[in-house]
Amino acid sequence: MVLKSLGALLGVLLVWLPAAGTVEARQSGGVRGRLDIRRLAKTVERRPDLATSAAAPRDVPDLRRGVVYLETAPRSAFDEREPGRAAMDQRNETFVPHVLAVMVGTVVDFPNSDRIYHNVFSLSRAKRFDLGRYAAGRSKGVVMDRPGVVRVLCEIHSHMNAFILVFNHPFFDVTDAEGRFELPALPAGTYTVVGWYEGEARVTRPVVVPPSGWADIDLVVP
Amino acid sequence: MTRLGLWLAALLVGTAVSATAQVLPEQPISLAGGHVVFGGEVTATIAPPDPGFFNYTSYEYSAIRNLRFSVSGEVRVNDRVQLLGEVRLDQGRVFEAYGLFVRVRPFPSRRFDLQAGRIPPTFGALSRTSYGSSNILIGQPLAYQYLTSIRADALPATADDLLRMRGRGWLSNFQVGNLAPGPGLPLVNTSRWDTGIQAHGVTGIVDWTGSITAGSLSDPRFHDNNRGRQVAGRAVVRPIAAVAIGVSASRGEWLDRTLQDQVAGATGDRTRQTAFGGDLEYSSGPFLVRGEVIRSMWQLPVFGNLHLEDPLVAISSLIEGRYKIAPGVYAALRGDRLDFSKIHAPRGIVEWEAQTWRIETGLGYSLTRNIMFKGSYQRNGRDGGRVRKDSMLVGQVVYWF
Repeated sequence: MVLKSLGALLGVLLVWLPAAGTVEARQSGGVRGRLDIRRLAKTVERRPDLATSAAAPRDVPDLRRGVVYLETAPRSAFDEREPGRAAMDQRNETFVPHVLAVMVGTVVDFPNSDRIYHNVFSLSRAKRFDLGRYAAGRSKGVVMDRPGVVRVLCEIHSHMNAFILVFNHPFFDVTDAEGRFELPALPAGTYTVVGWYEGEARVTRPVVVPPSGWADIDLVVP
Repeated sequence: MTRLGLWLAALLVGTAVSATAQVLPEQPISLAGGHVVFGGEVTATIAPPDPGFFNYTSYEYSAIRNLRFSVSGEVRVNDRVQLLGEVRLDQGRVFEAYGLFVRVRPFPSRRFDLQAGRIPPTFGALSRTSYGSSNILIGQPLAYQYLTSIRADALPATADDLLRMRGRGWLSNFQVGNLAPGPGLPLVNTSRWDTGIQAHGVTGIVDWTGSITAGSLSDPRFHDNNRGRQVAGRAVVRPIAAVAIGVSASRGEWLDRTLQDQVAGATGDRTRQTAFGGDLEYSSGPFLVRGEVIRSMWQLPVFGNLHLEDPLVAISSLIEGRYKIAPGVYAALRGDRLDFSKIHAPRGIVEWEAQTWRIETGLGYSLTRNIMFKGSYQRNGRDGGRVRKDSMLVGQVVYWF
């Protein structure tokens, strides 16, 4: 799994390299399509905890969503941008959303909407942090300052896990429940589109973006 | 630990380091659409010899020189019925079915269940410290591991006979009952689970558990060894998320039936162990602090020249804390002591067991979420026995999924 994550990390790191030479014009098109996930990942089960019974029911994370992004991005993607803000909630012993994609510099807030303690942490190379224990109604934020894949976990509840993908450019999208995505405002050119799902880049496809309009592409994760 | 055990421990360390390649599973293994789930834990603990037997759970086994494999499984028959079990391989070679019970949830939407079989302990806040992943340090709390001199299958013939064994609980022997040397009893024995039924529920901010089992707090049993039953209860209140306040109580027959028969006519209800415990946990941000006090009383029968009117009392006091220094790195400290009541003996008024204390401090480092290295320094002391002070550096690798 870690190797796969490293692979995904390398994939994401590649977006640092501007795709010089492939950009043909300054006109704007886009890529859209569908990431078809043929086999959904299994929910992480609770460890069989013999000593702790009467466990509260928990939500099932939304495992239908993947992330689609450009492997290499146009030079204009690296212009200075205002850091944004995003949130990953802790609700019914589940991180919501299960997958979050943000740009470098974004502050991700982790509110605790449960009545019990959580302890959000990550030991990922892209971002190591440990927010400690905090109670319901409180929130703590983390600045995602390096591109890569951040695996988010809870120290207290081993079945809680989520992913944050941190990009150096804005050409990424988390798919909707039907797998649809859009990468708008792209200069015309040839790009490589990557479909990422549950910790690894599963599928890559070249795509030619026209000077205007959409390039449609469907990606299949077997 | 055997040479094989040491090799296996070294192998585990090597595996742990190379486990960034994730040869090992990271999550519980789920089969049959989630109806069958397996988890596991491997703990390799290495320490120098412990000549004072401070960390022994019997004459042969030290809790800090151990290679343990444990696999726990859960079969979810439906929303109401689950079958749970755990098997362990201790010292790399001693195999035991640690727990095996059925859990019934009569009302699936409510947090209430009934369990029957070889069930987890009811008493105490720290009964899971024998699991490497649940213990902030390496040594176990004295109340849950340290062996006092008294035994379920042997009795001292006189008060002096009892005092002769002070500080020698790892291999105690008395003149009545089983004359062969053997390990004594801890206050709370979590190295075995008891057999019986248990009810557990959560009502508002109160988490409660009650059980009736075959053994006693000090001596959990698979087969009953006397005519008595242990009744135990525990309640934990969480007024706010940061604070947990717990109380525990237990009462049960602790003396073996053959021994009861041997001193028949004098036992009455004088073979009961009664224990009370109170605990407090506070955690916030990087801090976690726990404290627990346990008072255990063993009543001894009056027979022959043994006339101990008052029960033998042991009091355990523990405080431990953890502070996270950085992501994946923490420091921990535990102070722990056992005090014992005094008895009248020809040599004067003396504690029936040697007062014992332990200070342990250490660091934990998580290589990944489920691979942890721990190192600690432990200093033990007591006012009796052949070895009265003992210090050691201890290392541990824990892998779990």
